[in-house]
Amino acid sequence: MHRRTLLATPLAVLAAPRIGQAQALTPVTLRLKWLPQAQFAGFYLAVERGYYREAGLDLSISPGGPNLLTENLVASGSEQFGLSGGTDSVFSAREKGLPITCIGVAHQVTPFVFVAKADGPVKTLEDFRGKKVTAWFTGAHLVLFGMLASRNIPRDALSISPQQVSITPFINGDTDVCAATWYNELNTIKARIGGADKLKLFVAEDYGITVPRDTVIVNEAFAAANPNAVTAFLRASIRGWKAAKAEPAAALEAVMKIVPTLDRAHQIAMLPEVLRLMEAGAAAQQGLFVIDPTAIKKAHDFFVEQQVLKAPIDLATAFRSSFLEAIPLADRLA
Amino acid sequence: MKALALLAPLALIAAAWEGSVALFAISPFYLPPLRDVLGAIGANWQAYQAAFLITLLEAVVGFVAGGLVGVGSGIVFAHAPRLKQMVLPIFIVSQTVPVIAFGAIIVLWFGNTLAAKAAIAFYLTFFPVTVNTLAGMEAVDPRQIALLRSFGAGRRALLWKLLLPSALPRIFTALRLSAGLALAGAIVGEWFGAVQGVGALLLAAMFNEQIIALWAAIILAAAVGGALFALVAVIEARLLFWREEL
Repeated sequence: MHRRTLLATPLAVLAAPRIGQAQALTPVTLRLKWLPQAQFAGFYLAVERGYYREAGLDLSISPGGPNLLTENLVASGSEQFGLSGGTDSVFSAREKGLPITCIGVAHQVTPFVFVAKADGPVKTLEDFRGKKVTAWFTGAHLVLFGMLASRNIPRDALSISPQQVSITPFINGDTDVCAATWYNELNTIKARIGGADKLKLFVAEDYGITVPRDTVIVNEAFAAANPNAVTAFLRASIRGWKAAKAEPAAALEAVMKIVPTLDRAHQIAMLPEVLRLMEAGAAAQQGLFVIDPTAIKKAHDFFVEQQVLKAPIDLATAFRSSFLEAIPLADRLA
Repeated sequence: MKALALLAPLALIAAAWEGSVALFAISPFYLPPLRDVLGAIGANWQAYQAAFLITLLEAVVGFVAGGLVGVGSGIVFAHAPRLKQMVLPIFIVSQTVPVIAFGAIIVLWFGNTLAAKAAIAFYLTFFPVTVNTLAGMEAVDPRQIALLRSFGAGRRALLWKLLLPSALPRIFTALRLSAGLALAGAIVGEWFGAVQGVGALLLAAMFNEQIIALWAAIILAAAVGGALFALVAVIEARLLFWREEL
């Protein structure tokens, strides 16, 4: 036998099953909106359990972080899928003409609240007047503006400044009110201040505002060329989230395996809150990741009214339910 | 003896850390006791070990590439003054752009790869080496060059027998500086969506307000920096054998 063939034969035998697999699986990436944590447990569990592979996708998850904009990375095509900021960031990406489409919404209701100390001077929204309030200027401040407007409180009646990542200024009493996500900061604040009964919460929905967030986006060109892969991605993701609900301990382990240095107790507390946000609103009847046109329209009109969007955008092209609706409703219900 | 000289100050810092935390009752939110930090590293030893190796590898790849390109450019510039006048200003301008500005672009180009982090480490490394190689070669006494020329030495012989050896002390000064820069580059690279590495641990600890994990990551970064520095020192001791004390 020729020397080269001799070498090539065992290699070919080794390579053969791999080639078969590679042809069947479409390599795709999912860029998250933040650093790995239980907020994304369903996706990590779906990878660990091979749900994406079974759906024909070779999916790898890339974490987000403070320096990354998921919309940009998906628009550029360096990632196919993204879990991005929310309806607000999808609106502004579409306004800029970025080629991304929202194919699912994870958090059906506003995932953050405004928090004041129960023994402090702020009991009602009216009490915000003259106080120091912080909010993330990535969208939360707009919700605050809307809440104030609903009670005819002018924005300049209080001091509103950008909130940093740390909630220490609020704990120390340097600020009176701060923003907190239900699943992350609120748990930290509760832990550091000694319980939920020591806090007064201001929920956007009580003031008629809902901004669904944690939107699943896809690169437009990729979706046009691979509609089945998009539906496969959603199907496997839903399987992952349903498994995370059924087996929260396994979901937690899938996350802790990615970043073993995370605070386990904090992550344990995060998961049920995330699931609650995902099952809220229209998701209760229409399943996980449902794009509720009423809620989207309401949020959109709110941002137009706030003049964050210069003009209305075409919601029908920005949000597309067709990929999700290709999955039977029974499979989508949590 | 050398090990003792190294360990003594480390022990002193450790004692000062533990002592001041106990003595001044510092809140663990500002400075946790060192034993808690070391305990956290021990509890997740595998994760910290993996992060150490990944970041070290990224920094070494960028550092070696930067070192080679730096020495190479220095040699070329020393021989081609016209080229130096044209290209060196571009090198200088490139260094005035803060590396963090490039981070997002590099991730777009290279994705979540080792190359992305190494590219940033390279970017920070090559310039000091270029400048010092050039300066070292230009500082050679012209009479020495004239002497070697009178013996019939050509360009190549001059470079290998006189110019480079004379420039080596300066090159190594630059390399020592660059070792720290390469680490900073690798960590910055990891701040743009990396899954693993010291930078990823730093970021996670920072944004989750895990103060103990944050200090653990800082100690880990120092360990990577120390390893890089030791690497340069070992090579330096081999190549600069004629220098007595280093």
